[in-house]
Amino acid sequence: MDGWESFIGLARLILLAMVPYTLASQGTMLAGRAGVFNVAQEGIMLLGASVGFLAALRGGSLWVGMLAAAIAGGLLGLALAYFTSTLKMDQFVIGLALFFVGLGASSLAFKLLVGVTLVLPQIPTLPDLKVPLLGDLPVIGPILFNQNALVYLSALVSLGLYYYLYRTSWGLELRAVGENPKSADSLGINVTAQQYAATIMGSMLIGIAGAYLPMVYTGTFTQGIVQGRGWLSIALTFFGGWRPGLIFAGALFFALVEVGSLRVQIMGGVVPHQVLRMLPYLTTILVMIFAFRWVRVPAFLGQTYDREKRSLS
Amino acid sequence: MSAVAAAPVRQRVALAVLNVLPYLVAVAASFAAAGVFIALMGFDVARAYQTILFTSFRNANAFGQTLNKFVPLLLQALAFALPLAGGKYNVGGEGQMLAGAIGAAAVGILLPDLPGLALLPLVLLASLIVGALWAALPAWLLYRWGINEILTTMLLNFVSFSLVDYVATHVWPDPAAGHPTTAPIGAGGVLPVLLPRTTLHAGLVISLLVAAAAYVFVARTTVGYELVATGANPRAARVFGIHVRRLFLLSLVLGGAVAGLSGGIEVAGVHQRLIEGMQSNFMLLGLIIGLIAKGNLAAVPVVAFFIAVLEVGASAMQRTLAIPGEMVFIVEALILLFILLSDRLRKR
Repeated sequence: MDGWESFIGLARLILLAMVPYTLASQGTMLAGRAGVFNVAQEGIMLLGASVGFLAALRGGSLWVGMLAAAIAGGLLGLALAYFTSTLKMDQFVIGLALFFVGLGASSLAFKLLVGVTLVLPQIPTLPDLKVPLLGDLPVIGPILFNQNALVYLSALVSLGLYYYLYRTSWGLELRAVGENPKSADSLGINVTAQQYAATIMGSMLIGIAGAYLPMVYTGTFTQGIVQGRGWLSIALTFFGGWRPGLIFAGALFFALVEVGSLRVQIMGGVVPHQVLRMLPYLTTILVMIFAFRWVRVPAFLGQTYDREKRSLS
Repeated sequence: MSAVAAAPVRQRVALAVLNVLPYLVAVAASFAAAGVFIALMGFDVARAYQTILFTSFRNANAFGQTLNKFVPLLLQALAFALPLAGGKYNVGGEGQMLAGAIGAAAVGILLPDLPGLALLPLVLLASLIVGALWAALPAWLLYRWGINEILTTMLLNFVSFSLVDYVATHVWPDPAAGHPTTAPIGAGGVLPVLLPRTTLHAGLVISLLVAAAAYVFVARTTVGYELVATGANPRAARVFGIHVRRLFLLSLVLGGAVAGLSGGIEVAGVHQRLIEGMQSNFMLLGLIIGLIAKGNLAAVPVVAFFIAVLEVGASAMQRTLAIPGEMVFIVEALILLFILLSDRLRKR
């Protein structure tokens, strides 16, 4: 039964690693479907990780940390929406600027509240929650139904976003804004409000994705904690074709590559660990080559809609 | 006669003031915002400002250090601003720098006995070429399949970190160093010191030449003009027969070459070897510089010098006053946001 046990262990790790990719990517997708291309993920996740860790440390509860990370992410999302949707400024430039803000603010907050120490303070990691009955099933039980709350939440968020985008009229309006804001506007849809809501909610999800890292992996905050997961989640969003269901499935693949390369690193062998550490990024670039050929991107993604301006499209 | 001639001059002065004013306001506003924050943390604001702004000019050595910091910042900013002229975002300057540094270290370690006249140019040329090659992959992916260059250039940064680690621990390791570091390069590959009794190296001259060349290329050549036209309106440029995608490819590869050179100069001028983590945060600051200068290649060196002064001041502030150096990073991000904002308000 040793084979089964190591399989279960690996599968559990993959689901664990899926969470930040799923949440960050769904957040990117949500804003993108309203036409706002968020490229500040790395900064938002770092800020979420730092603020979430600090709030959990001071507030004594991981949920306080999650909430604080969501608020911090939401604030950066608000800034992104204000500069791009209200002030009609370039989304990439503002996204990069907010990436800097997140980067600086995350380590500044940590240094101010913790200081420079050799012994990093620790917070407890998220406990596993066993689903009654289902959790007792063999194999499937420990893999799917005995995980931490955020694993369940990321599945629910994906399902909820699918329902919201494709089964509600608000979702339809939001998608219309991302495809053709001019016609959406002429039909009386509040383009600005939709973009604000999508960008802020999306950034809150990205903030939570950041807070997940110290709460599950390290128990503390370090500057290198995000390790490109924010950028990878943009790639994942393209890979998933800006659709919640496919993004969820794609996150499984990204998590598989991450866990797989880590596992081989631990086992040791002929391949040096530095080469294995490159794998997630190289795989992602490879995957993009295929994804970009069939993916349908929201038509107005990355562009600025100004109702007072004449436009060709 | 003089009244007629005076009018345009006065207009031009007014225009220049109008152009510089937002920058001054943005800098002042960012410093004010940071000052409030520093005061709230219970530090001495006046001393903090004084340290940030004047550390660089205290003596020749400090000024030399500032210029040494200015060199990679300028080159990184150019590596970002060149593709930006065509509307493309090269956020892979870090990876290109490290790739260039690996190339430089490889030549310097493999040919240690060459005289300086031969080795130094080879070291720098290697960094230039390897940096360009490192950028060629995302450039080609953009050219061939239209794959978003922000993502691919950024992802390759993470690949380069592992590559440096590998080279410094497996290929040419220095066993005596406690940190992933390669053996030193040959003495002929080291950049000469410009000013005696300072650390200021000749990379300054090279970086200024590159900045001048970049400016001439964009402002005074046909290809440069096509690049700017593409950046302004790719659709119109295509209609007028400009091969837009080829220009994207060219500008990204050029950016990679400049970023690679910054790595070569760091190896040849500062460390004399490849060290893990030597990229510091030059690329991020380069992006900030490029964005603050709004891609204007003539303004890039000025902004880069200002940021170099702030950075040297920031580390002094952290050392002597124990104020976190990240404060300055926030100031820089705020300056950028304020400048973007003032730009927006002026257009109204």
